[in-house]
Amino acid sequence: MEIRPILSALLRNKTGPILVALQVALSLAILANALHIVNERRAVAARPSGMADEHVVFSMETDKLGNATPEQQLAAIKRETEVLRAVSGVVAAAQVSQMPMSRSGSNTSVALDPRQTQPSAAASVYVSGDSLIKTYGLRLAEGRDFRPEELVDVNDQSENVFPPGVIISRPLAEKLWPGASAIGKTMYFGTGSTAPPTRIVGVVENLISAHAEVSERGMLSVLIPQRLYGGGRGNMYAVRTEPGQRERVIKEAEAALRKSSSTPMIIESTSVDQARKDRYRGDVALQWMLITVSALLLLITCCGIVGMASLWVTQRRKQIGVRRALGARRLDILRYFILENIMITSAGVFGGVALGLALNQLLVSKLEMARLPPGYLIAGAGLFWLIGVVAAYGPAWRAASISPATATRSV
Amino acid sequence: MFGYYFKLGVRSLRRNPFLTALMVLTLAVGVAASVSTLTILHMMSSDPIPQKSSRLFVPLIDNGPTEGYTPGEKPDDIQLSYQDAQNLLKSGQGVHRTALYGVAGAVEPPKQGIQPFTMNGLAPTRDFFAMFDVPFLHGQPWTEADDARGADVVVLSRAMSEKLYGDADPVGRRLMLMGFPFTVAGVTDTWRLLPRVYLLAGGSAYGTGEKFFIPLSSAIRHETQHNGGMSCTGNVDAGWAARLASECTWLTAWFETASAGDRGELQSWLDNYANDQRKLGRLKRSAPNRLFDVNGWMEYTGVVGKDSRLQVWLAFGFLMLCLVNTVGLLLAKFSVRASEIGVRRALGASRREIFRQFLVETTVIGLVGGVLGLGFAFGALALIGMSSKSMATVATMDWEMLGLTFVISVSAAILAGLLPTWRACQVTPAIQLKSQ
Repeated sequence: MEIRPILSALLRNKTGPILVALQVALSLAILANALHIVNERRAVAARPSGMADEHVVFSMETDKLGNATPEQQLAAIKRETEVLRAVSGVVAAAQVSQMPMSRSGSNTSVALDPRQTQPSAAASVYVSGDSLIKTYGLRLAEGRDFRPEELVDVNDQSENVFPPGVIISRPLAEKLWPGASAIGKTMYFGTGSTAPPTRIVGVVENLISAHAEVSERGMLSVLIPQRLYGGGRGNMYAVRTEPGQRERVIKEAEAALRKSSSTPMIIESTSVDQARKDRYRGDVALQWMLITVSALLLLITCCGIVGMASLWVTQRRKQIGVRRALGARRLDILRYFILENIMITSAGVFGGVALGLALNQLLVSKLEMARLPPGYLIAGAGLFWLIGVVAAYGPAWRAASISPATATRSV
Repeated sequence: MFGYYFKLGVRSLRRNPFLTALMVLTLAVGVAASVSTLTILHMMSSDPIPQKSSRLFVPLIDNGPTEGYTPGEKPDDIQLSYQDAQNLLKSGQGVHRTALYGVAGAVEPPKQGIQPFTMNGLAPTRDFFAMFDVPFLHGQPWTEADDARGADVVVLSRAMSEKLYGDADPVGRRLMLMGFPFTVAGVTDTWRLLPRVYLLAGGSAYGTGEKFFIPLSSAIRHETQHNGGMSCTGNVDAGWAARLASECTWLTAWFETASAGDRGELQSWLDNYANDQRKLGRLKRSAPNRLFDVNGWMEYTGVVGKDSRLQVWLAFGFLMLCLVNTVGLLLAKFSVRASEIGVRRALGASRREIFRQFLVETTVIGLVGGVLGLGFAFGALALIGMSSKSMATVATMDWEMLGLTFVISVSAAILAGLLPTWRACQVTPAIQLKSQ
C-alpha cells in the first residue's frame, strides 16, 4: 500500500491538510447537532392532537358589549350553540373553555390518593357542556362519552362544582394506572383532605393540551362535563364542519352569531390549523435556520476540499509528471490523491466526532437540549467520507491526466 | 504607505477573481449568519430601560403550601397574590411603587364605521407611568385619588387614540370599555419596552405594546379577568371576592428606589413583611424573599429563549468554519505570489513591510466581505421578521449591531489572514529569484 509515502508527504507540509481536516471536523460537529435538533423539533411539531381531522375544526371567541346577568349569559350560550349548529355544513358545535394548541388555558393537578404530598400529574382541563368527543372528533379508546344528564350548567362565579365523572386522555390514564384499565377508577383533583374525588368514565386515545408542552405533560388532558357561565361576557365555541367547508362556515357562522345577538359582538375565529402553526412557529423557524446553516456548511466544506485539492495538484504538477514518466499509471495517480484525501477526511471525521460530542455536551448542560444519539455522528462520518472522495475526484482526475512530457518539460 | 497598500489590496481583488469571490462570499455568509442571530439575541436580551434598571425592583414572596415543598427548591411562580400586592402598595417603600396585571377589554368605537373590537392593556397604579418613563402625548396619568376610588379613567396608547379619535386630542372624552363608560385621562406617546419586563407572566414579551391603561383598583372593581397566567394551589372558592382573598398569584409588583444602594433597605423591609405574614399564619413556607432588579428579573424569568442562544452558538461555529475555509483560500492566493514577494524583499522591503502589505490586503477582503455580509444579514433579518409580528419587533438592526458587524467581519478577515501573511513573510528572496 501507498499509505506510508502519502503520510510522510502529508507530514512534510502540514498546514493545508490540517485546515481541511479542521473544516471537516467543525462541519461534522455542527451538522450532526443541528440535524438532531431539527429532527427533534419535527417530531414535537408532528405530534397528533387527537382530532380525527384538524382541518375541519375551528374555534370562535366571542365578546359582547354591554353587561348581562349570569342567567342571561347562560341563555345566550345555549342559544348561540344552537345558532352555530343550524349553520349549514356544521357537523357539531360546543361551548368550550379552551382549545388544543391555543397556548391559552388552564391546568389542574390530579392525584391517585389525596394523602399524597405531591400530585401525580398536571392535566390540561377542557370544560364543555357538550360532547367534545363529537366536536373535536376524538377517538374513544375505552368507556363511554358523557350522558346528557351528566352535562350540567355551572355558574362559575357563585358555585364550585366538581364533576362526579370525567373522561381523560390515554397518556394520562397510562401515567396514573400503567398497564391497567382506568374505567371506573377514582382520582382526585389536587391533594389534601378536601381534594374532591372523581371517577373515570371514559378514555380518549389522545388529546393534546392547550399549551402543547414538549414534555409528556403536553398529552395529559381531562374532559369535564360542565357548561360554565357567569365568568364574563365572552365565550368560546368549538365548531366542526364537513370536509372542505371550513372557510365558508366560519364566515356564515360569524354572520349568524352577529344576527342572533341584540348587542354588537366581537368575534375572533381561529382554525386548529392556524393554532398549530402559531404554536410551532418558533420550532419551524429554528428548523429552517438550522437547515440553511447545514446546507451552507456542506457547500463551504465541499468548496474547501475541492479548492485545497486543486491547489495541491497545481503545486505538484512536476512531481506527478516525474512519477508518470517513471511508469506510474493514471490509476496510481488517481488513487494517490483520493487516498490522500480519505486520510485527511478521516482525521477530520475523528476530530469531528469528538468535537460533536463536546458540542452536544455543552448544549445539554447549558441549554438543556437532548443528548445526541450516536447514529447522527456515524451517518455524518459516512457523509463526509463520501464528500471527501467525491470532492477530491475532480482534481485527482485532472492530476491523472497530466501528461508526463509537458509536466517535466520545464525541469 | 498605508494608502498605497490599500490601493494594492483593492487591485488584487481582481487578481484570481474566482478565488477572491469565493473568499468574500464565504466571509459574508459567515458574518451574516452570526450577525443576524446575534442581532435577535441582542434585541431580545438588551436592557429595555438602562437609565433606571438598577433602581427598579420586583419582589417575589413564596406563598405556596408546605405540602410537597422541599426547602431550597426554585418556585416556578413569578407572580404575587392580590393580598401581597395590596400590602406592598400600601407599604410606602421606595419613591414609587406599583402593582399590575394584564387585562383585555371590548371597545365600542366612538367613530362610525369601526367594528367593535377587543384590545389588550394593563391595569397598573398611577406610579407605573413615572417608574417606566412612559411619555405622554396628551393629558397625563390619572390621579392618586382615581387610584384610591377606582375611578373609570383610561390612558390610551397613541396608536389606539389615532384609531379611535383620529388626530384629535381625546382627553376628557368618554369611551365605552368593557361595557362601562371610561373617561380618557391621557394618551401616551409611542412607547414600548423590549422585552416587556414589567409583565413577563403570560403574553409575548416582544409584543407590539399596550393599547390602554386603566387603574388597578378600577379593574378589580369591575372584576376584570386577568389576561395572562394565574397559579392557584388547592381549590379556591368560586367568586371574585374569594379570588382576591385567595393565595392565587396573578399580579406583579414593582418598586422604584432613589438609588441602587437602597436595595438592602427594601430587602430588609420585605423580610420583615414576610415574617409578619408568617406570624399571622398566612405564609407557610420559610422560603427566602427575593428581590430582582430589571436585569436580574430578565435572567430569573428566562425571558430570552434558549433557542436564540442555540442559534447564536451554532452561527458562530459556522463563522469559525468560514474562517478556516478563508485561511485555506488565502494561503492558496498568497502562495502564487511568492516570486513577487521575493522581488520586493530583494529590493529592500523588510519582513515587517511585507507583513503590513498583506495584512492590509486581507483587511480589504474583510471589508468587502463585511459589507456584503451586512447586506445578507439585512436580508436574513427581513426574512425572519416576516415569520411573525413578535419576531419583526426584534429582527431589526441598531447602530450598535451595525458597528459590531464591521468589527466582526474585519477582525475575522484579519484573523484568517494572520497565518497566510506570516507564511508570506517567510519567503526567502534568494530561492525565489533563482528559480525565475
